Amino acid sequence: MFHRCKEALWIGFWGAAFLSLGTALVGPLYAATTTIKIAGSTTLLPILSEAAKQYRITHPDLRLTVSGGGSGMGVANIERGTIDIGMASRPLSVREAERLGDATDVIPVARDAVAIAVSKAVYENGVTQLSLAQIAAIYRGEIRNWRELGGLDATILVIDKEASRGTRYVFAAVVLGNPHARAPGATIITGSNNEEQAVISRSDQAIGMLSNAWLNDRVRAIAVGEGDAALLPTAENVARGRYLITRDLNILVPKGSGDEVKGFVDFLRSAQGQAIVETVGFHSVR
Amino acid sequence: MMLRWWLSTSALLSSLMIVLVLGFLLQSSWPLIQQQGIAFIIGDEWYPFESLYGMLPALMGTVWAVTLALLIALPCGVAAAIFCAELLPAQLRGAMRFSMELMAGVPSVVYGLLGMWVLLPLLESQLELLTGRTLLAAGLLLALMILPTIMVLSEDAIRAVRQSQREAAKSLGIGWDATLWRVLLPQAWPGIRVATLLATGRAMGETVAVMLVVGSIDRIPDPFYNFLQPAQTLTSRIGREMAEASIGSLHWAALLFCGLLLALIAMGLSFMTPRKRIAA
Repeated sequence: MFHRCKEALWIGFWGAAFLSLGTALVGPLYAATTTIKIAGSTTLLPILSEAAKQYRITHPDLRLTVSGGGSGMGVANIERGTIDIGMASRPLSVREAERLGDATDVIPVARDAVAIAVSKAVYENGVTQLSLAQIAAIYRGEIRNWRELGGLDATILVIDKEASRGTRYVFAAVVLGNPHARAPGATIITGSNNEEQAVISRSDQAIGMLSNAWLNDRVRAIAVGEGDAALLPTAENVARGRYLITRDLNILVPKGSGDEVKGFVDFLRSAQGQAIVETVGFHSVR
Repeated sequence: MMLRWWLSTSALLSSLMIVLVLGFLLQSSWPLIQQQGIAFIIGDEWYPFESLYGMLPALMGTVWAVTLALLIALPCGVAAAIFCAELLPAQLRGAMRFSMELMAGVPSVVYGLLGMWVLLPLLESQLELLTGRTLLAAGLLLALMILPTIMVLSEDAIRAVRQSQREAAKSLGIGWDATLWRVLLPQAWPGIRVATLLATGRAMGETVAVMLVVGSIDRIPDPFYNFLQPAQTLTSRIGREMAEASIGSLHWAALLFCGLLLALIAMGLSFMTPRKRIAA
């Protein structure tokens, strides 16, 4: 019995010793730096992550943490005051604007197109363009088979996104006519762009809404519009305002933020920051 | 004296905790109940933006996922427990138990990822489904997660049956399977029941793993027993929507009400546990 006690005491002692040593070593590092917490839209995530990485080179004393969660979460957390910069891939809703009042600046840092993305197999079997009405019919559950759209005889796997996601907001506003429209035709609901991209790329019959930057060989964008007027979300079409499903990617910054935050925001809007935006796959706002 | 005081305070505090939790859940979801009554529990439409908070789809999804998990894990777990307790030599028994305990310690998000990258493609190709994200996927994954609980606790219960009982059965000339059915299982039953209830609780409260494979769509399967369709569970809904709901809004209240429902079901279950362990 006594032996056990002694053993436990030793373990406790070493544990405490390690912990205090660790704190002593790491503590000052944390204490000496300012942390800027950034969270929200996963569409903006790659931009802000890359920008934070580069900004750190010239500002080694700053700590920037960037995490996802969706536009809705970005707005909610700015409201709660738990983060310094929120990311939102859509405009503020009327209710949100009321709640946040004049206390927050909404600053566009990039432009993005919401691509209508389909599985590679769908694209290669003939569905390379759809009109807005056809896409709406799919999401309303009126068209359920690719055959009706000139593809193979296969049920459509319709992917909707969580209601709070900025991508869904813009998609629903343009395609379904109301940013909060229901989508009774949806098969499943996904959250982040990554999650949705994974579903589309693994399926042979999926359609979804994805930010332009998440397209790849297995996840193809289709042209949107009637006949010859159908357009792909290319840089030129987005810049000239021809492609319809586009949006500003915004950051939310509380008024009266510290100089560290302001400095980073200026960096994002600078030529160097906008170059990052284009490298990551979005369009500059300059 | 000090020790007694410390022990009784700790005991009191921990029993108070459950009252606090329930009180908090009720208080936070009160605005919703106040505004919409209680009928939304059986509503089948969940559209937070339109102030529709029907709980039925997620409630049914939870019940389905847990039932499926139990249907799979209970027979497997108890069979493994019997095998381990009665048939396996001591050294192998240790190894098997260790592997089960290890399995119980794997974080749930690991199971979730496993489900996403192994289970879903398998279901899609084998059952020719539109998507593998179904109630079945959630049930299978949960079964895997509760299997160790059922197995380890049931094995304890079976091993706790006194050796003299086995010897008595043997001396009466009763065969092994009759001993199992008539002596061992009836005596171990209270323990197996506790194992099942604990496992049910775990399956019901599991969030991340389920969220990744269930499809998260708030719709009652059609027909309602079709577990090959995507659905939603209470936990997966909370997991997906909690971060974006602003504190104090109706949406927030509705999500906390989901939590309250879960807590109430879990409490109902624990009232079903036998109060007294039968002395063997």
